[in-house]
Formats: sequence, structure tokens, C-alpha cells
Amino acid sequence: MLRLVGLRKTFGTVVAVDGLSLEIQRGEVFGLLGPNGAGKTTTISLAVGQLRPDAGTVTLDGAGSPADPHVRRCIGVAPQALALYDELSGEENLRFFGRLYGLGGGTLRQRVARLLDFVGLTERWRDRVATYSGGMKRRLNLAVALVHEPALILLDEPTAGVDPQSRNAIFEFVQTLKSEGRTVVYTTHYMEEAQRLCDRVAIMDHGRLLALDTVAGLLRRTDRPPTVILERATGEERIETADPKAELVRALDQPDVLGVRVERPDLESVFLTLTGRRLRD
Amino acid sequence: MSAILTLAVKDLRLLLRDRVGFFFTFFFPLLYSVFFGILFSGTSKGPSAIPVAIVNEDRTSASDEFVSSLRKTSSLALDLVDSRDAAVDLVRRGVRSAYVVIPPGFGDASQRLFWGAPMRLEIGTDPGQAMTAGMIEGLVTARAFERMQRLFTDAQAMRDNARRSLEAVRSSTGLSGLQRTLLETLLTSVEALPDMFAAQESAADTQPDGTTQPALGGWRPVEITTSQVTRPTAAGRPRYPTSSFAICFPQGIIWGVMACAATFAASLLVERTRGTLPRLTVAPFARWHILAGKAAACFFTTAGLIVALLFVARLGFGVRPASLPLLLAAILCVTVAIVGLMMVLSVLGKTEQAVSGISWALIVVLAMLGGGMIPLAFMPPWMQTLSDVSLVKWAILALEGAIWRGFSPAEMALPCGVLLFVGVVGFAVGAGVFRWSEQR
Ligand SMILES: Nc1ncnc2c1ncn2[C@@H]1O[C@H](COP(=O)(O)OP(=O)(O)OP(=O)(O)O)[C@@H](O)[C@H]1O
Ligand SMILES: [Mg+2]
Repeated sequence: MLRLVGLRKTFGTVVAVDGLSLEIQRGEVFGLLGPNGAGKTTTISLAVGQLRPDAGTVTLDGAGSPADPHVRRCIGVAPQALALYDELSGEENLRFFGRLYGLGGGTLRQRVARLLDFVGLTERWRDRVATYSGGMKRRLNLAVALVHEPALILLDEPTAGVDPQSRNAIFEFVQTLKSEGRTVVYTTHYMEEAQRLCDRVAIMDHGRLLALDTVAGLLRRTDRPPTVILERATGEERIETADPKAELVRALDQPDVLGVRVERPDLESVFLTLTGRRLRD
Repeated sequence: MSAILTLAVKDLRLLLRDRVGFFFTFFFPLLYSVFFGILFSGTSKGPSAIPVAIVNEDRTSASDEFVSSLRKTSSLALDLVDSRDAAVDLVRRGVRSAYVVIPPGFGDASQRLFWGAPMRLEIGTDPGQAMTAGMIEGLVTARAFERMQRLFTDAQAMRDNARRSLEAVRSSTGLSGLQRTLLETLLTSVEALPDMFAAQESAADTQPDGTTQPALGGWRPVEITTSQVTRPTAAGRPRYPTSSFAICFPQGIIWGVMACAATFAASLLVERTRGTLPRLTVAPFARWHILAGKAAACFFTTAGLIVALLFVARLGFGVRPASLPLLLAAILCVTVAIVGLMMVLSVLGKTEQAVSGISWALIVVLAMLGGGMIPLAFMPPWMQTLSDVSLVKWAILALEGAIWRGFSPAEMALPCGVLLFVGVVGFAVGAGVFRWSEQR
């Protein structure tokens, strides 16, 4: 669906994306995981033709480069920085962006109504975006990316600054989009999100691709053993062990242990293995 | 094309939503025009310094002296011009309000009193500056009288001399009868001179309206021939501002349209800083559409503003354009220039605030230079020359040319050409320099 080859982009002396190559398959939810400043947003901007790469190419399913306006017709982006007109209503924003893609009349009206319903903003459609909450703006930002029904959708941190309820709603949208057969690229620095939503995940750091695999495949890469967590009145004790069973048995003999839990290695630990650092500090 | 229109309609909608912005765009220029129109409508007095071209054809010490005395007059901004034709042309083009010619013979005439041809002066005025014509005439006459005054002072000394001489003659014993009679006659008439001056002076007082009254049985110390500098215009066209509103509305319009340029320049910056610009750049059309959309919004707003204000001027204040086709041409050219200005303003800063600030500073300077504050005709000559660098001057000239200056299409070509040039070049340069993504 989308092929990035040898992408490189610098801002002054900062190398934001450094020789990145990856291929996104049709119909998959593809995660781009990395800490702040890893180059995720820059990668998205390059992928949709908003930034010109210093080197490398972006090709969309044989259609060509998104630098060509016609190729961009089948791409939808929900930028990390909200891109909405605050003084227009939610409905007016959707209609405006729909018109830019050549939609109009009944088709546009129907799509706008359906999208408002999809992101749960039907009741607020007349209100100016300026009066929306952060989560509502995020959902509208996502809806705008979908108004022209693109085959490829890029969501840049769609859950940033959103409460758990809106967050779950956004997860559901992504799953719905996947079930409709669309391709979704999803960037985040929350490994739980990537783990829950994505078919394949690319881990990025300092503009480079560190690993690219299915979630299960990535988890196999970690050299970290499972962790047994002992809960005491004084706090938690974390024990990394290759033999959690033995650790659990030993815990039963300790009267001050209030509870026990076993954590399997996750993408967080994969990142730790790959970089020696945690995803978020 | 439809994308450009969609973008433009969105901007117009945003403008309407912004009450404060809308007020400043539409009502501020109206208030400006009406306020200053009313303020100046009562005053028939001219400006503080009337720009006058003077031609010294006489070239005597007397005429040189007269020129420098006029130069000292604070209410005149004097500009010495080589030839009469050049002076007439300056007035014809509205660069000067009037010209004064000192014809040959002025110097000779100024030495004489009460007899022969008086000092002659020729004054030519722009009929559009009718209110200043009388004032110039009055001022020139006053200066001429000052010359008389000096001769009079000389005569006073002469009389004292004469009286002393007369006494000497009378008491002298060494003169023959004939000699005595001759000298007595001469000196008595010299002694009487000042009384005749006094009579003449009181009769020839300069009246408040600037006219002078004949004294001494119709003999005038200075004879002024006035002529009007007419322009090549069709019959019936007004060639002078019908009211102060004919001057203040073009000025108000200029303020309004420059505010438009600043508003849309800032809105481009807002799109960039609020992230909508990146979203627009991924829409399925080339980037120039985005700038074209902004330009179209600026164009429609500017043109709409001019038309709306001119409607108010016509219906509410009787400002009737001399030529409708030329006025449409002027509106088009001013609007194009404003779009170019908008594009240039948008690249002068990195943030909306910076662009707004720089825009206003620039607009005030352009307006000050170009006649947005002090009407062009009232500026001293050096400032009128300097004003050439401001597009405000050309915009006002284009509008006034079509409204009351009665410009011919050929005369409109210069201001309109300058405006189109500024618009096209400004837009091209601004668009070329414009940054699409925010630089952190
Ligand atoms: N417009 C820009 N100008 C200058 N530097 C930039 C610009 N955009 C990105 N950078 C730099 O490039 C690097 C990558 O930034 P990018 O926004 O792509 O990271 P990210 O992975 O999206 O981070 P985050 O998780 O914080 O969104 C950072 O060092 C950033 O400072
Ligand atoms: Mg980012």
C-alpha cells in the first residue's frame, strides 16, 4: 500500500528521519512506536507529501508519489497538532474539507452526518469548535481525515490529551476502519495502544527503524524474563526471573506479602532491550 | 478552481465570524471618512501650506526679493520652476495647487508709484483647489504691499530730509529767486508724498476674503491676472472635489483596504501556526491554490469594501464619480495592489502577532507618505515627490482620478499601472518566499 525507501529529513542540524525504509500492507493497522522526538510525525509528513524528503522516495501502491496532488486523494491524515478552524462549527469544518476533495451536494451531506455520528458529535454539530473539549476536537480531527473516504489513513497520536472514554472510542474507530478494509498507520508512544491495535509495529528512535514485526514477533525478541511483583504494605518488589513459578511458591511462605502478580514482557521491555532506555521517562 | 473558491468562501465566513475584525474592516474606514469629511466640510480655509509653483520671468533684484518674501510666507510651500509651461503642467497634474508667474517688467514697475503700469502678476489655479485660489491671491497681494510699505518707509525718511532741506532753502540767503522757487516746489511735493501713501494704503486694505479694493482712483500697486488650469476632460465632469467627502472617502477606503491586507496576511500565519495549513497542503491540489484562495478572499473583501464605501459616499454624502468605467478600473487596480501587499506582509514575520505589528507599522508609514493622512495636494513639494514610493499615493490618485480629478484614461494609466505592477510583483515575491511549514 505504502512504501518508504531510504527516507531522510533534516531540520538544520537535527536529523529527524535517518534512512528509514518500510512497507505498509493493504488492510493492516500499522503502528509507529517511538519516544518523543523519534521522528514519527516527520515520517507521517513525508509519507503524505506534506514535507519533501532530503533523500529517499515515497510510493503509494503503484500510483506514485504523494507529491502528486492526485495521489493524495486516497490519503487521509489526522495530524498530531489539531488542524481545525476554531471559529467554524464541527459540521462546517467537515463540509469545508469535504469540498476541498471535490465532494458536494447530497453525498457530502450524508457523509458529514455519518461522520458526526461516528465520532459522537451529532449533538454538538452546530457549535463552534472553539467550544469543544480536547477529546471532542481530537475526534473531529479524526473525522476530517475520513471525510473523503480514503483507503490509507494516517493517525498521528490520535489519543494525545484524551480521557479514557474518548480513548476507547478512538480505539473502536480504528477497529471499525480496519474491518472496512482500510489501511491505518497509527503513531503513538503508548506501547499498550500499539499492542492492542496494531497488526505490525515499527519501533523508531532517533529517526531510525529499530525493529519491525508483528507484536508477537517483537515480544519474542526481548531478552527480558517475566517479572514477578510482590505487593507488600511497604510497597512493591519487582523480581525479574526466568522461573516465575519458583518465585511464586517462595512468595507464599512470606507472611507480609499481600498479593502477587506476574507481568509478561511487553513492547516497553522490547524497547528497553533495543535501546537500553524506557519509552517514556 | 472550485478549490480556490471553497478556500475563499471559508475565509470570508471566518471574517464574518470575527466581529472585531469585521468592525475594523468595514466600519472603521466608514467612520474615518465620515468623521474627517464632517470635520473639514465646515472649513473653507485652505491647508496650512499651499503648494505653489513660482516662475520668475523678470529676473531682477526686485523680483528675486519678491520671491524670497513669498518663500518666507509660512502658508505657502513655494517651489521655483524654470518655465511657465512646467508650472502649468504641475498644476494640471494636481501636483501643485497653483502657479504664480512674475512676468518681465515687474522690477521696473515696482520702482514706480502712482503712475504707469503697476506690478503685474499672473496666478493660475487648479479649479479643484478653488478654495485655495482666493487665499493665494490674497497672500501674494499682501507680499506685494509689503514692498510698497518699504518704499513708503523710504519716503518717510525722504520727507524728513525734504523738510530739513526746505527749511534750509527758506533760510538760505545765497540762492537766486528762481532757484529758491524751484527747490521749494520740489521739496514741498516730496514732503506731501507720505500722505498720499497713507490714503492709498487705507483704501487698498486686504480684505478678509483675500480680495483687494482699488485705491487712488483705480490705480493698483499690483495687478493680478488669474486663470484656471483646466484639464482635458469631457464636459460635465467635476474637476474639483465636490465636498470634503470626495477627499475623505478615498482616504478612508485606503485605510480600510490596507487593513484588509493586514487581516488576510495575519490569517495566512494563523493557518500555519494553528496547523490548518499543513492539512490544506495534503489536499489534492497544488499548493498555489491555497495562496490563490487567500488572494481571492482578500480580493473579494477589498473590492466589496471599496464598493460598499463608495455606495455610502454616493447615497449618503453625494460623492458622485466622474467616470464609472474609470472608477471600476481604479477599484480593480487598487484591489490587485492590496492582494500583492497582503502576500508581502505575510512573509514579514514568523507569527501572527509579528505580522500584524509589522503590517500596521508599514501601513502607517505608507499612509503618511502617500497622502492617507495629509491629502496629497496639501503636502509640501518635497513630500509629494517622496510620496511616489508609497502605493497609497497611487491608490488615492487612481480613486480620486475617477471620482473628481476627471482623469482621462491616459492619465489613469500611470497610477493604475503602478498599482498593477505592485500587486503582481508583490504577490510573486511574497509567494516565492512564503514558508509552508513552521520553522521551530
Ligand atoms: N519543523 C521543524 N523544525 C525544526 N525541527 C523539527 C521540526 N519538526 C521536527 N523537528 C525535529 O525533528 C525531530 C523529530 O520530530 P518529530 O516531531 O518527527 O518527532 P515525534 O516522534 O513525532 O515526536 P512526538 O512523540 O513528540 O510527537 C525532533 O528532534 C524535532 O525537534
Ligand atoms: Mg509527533
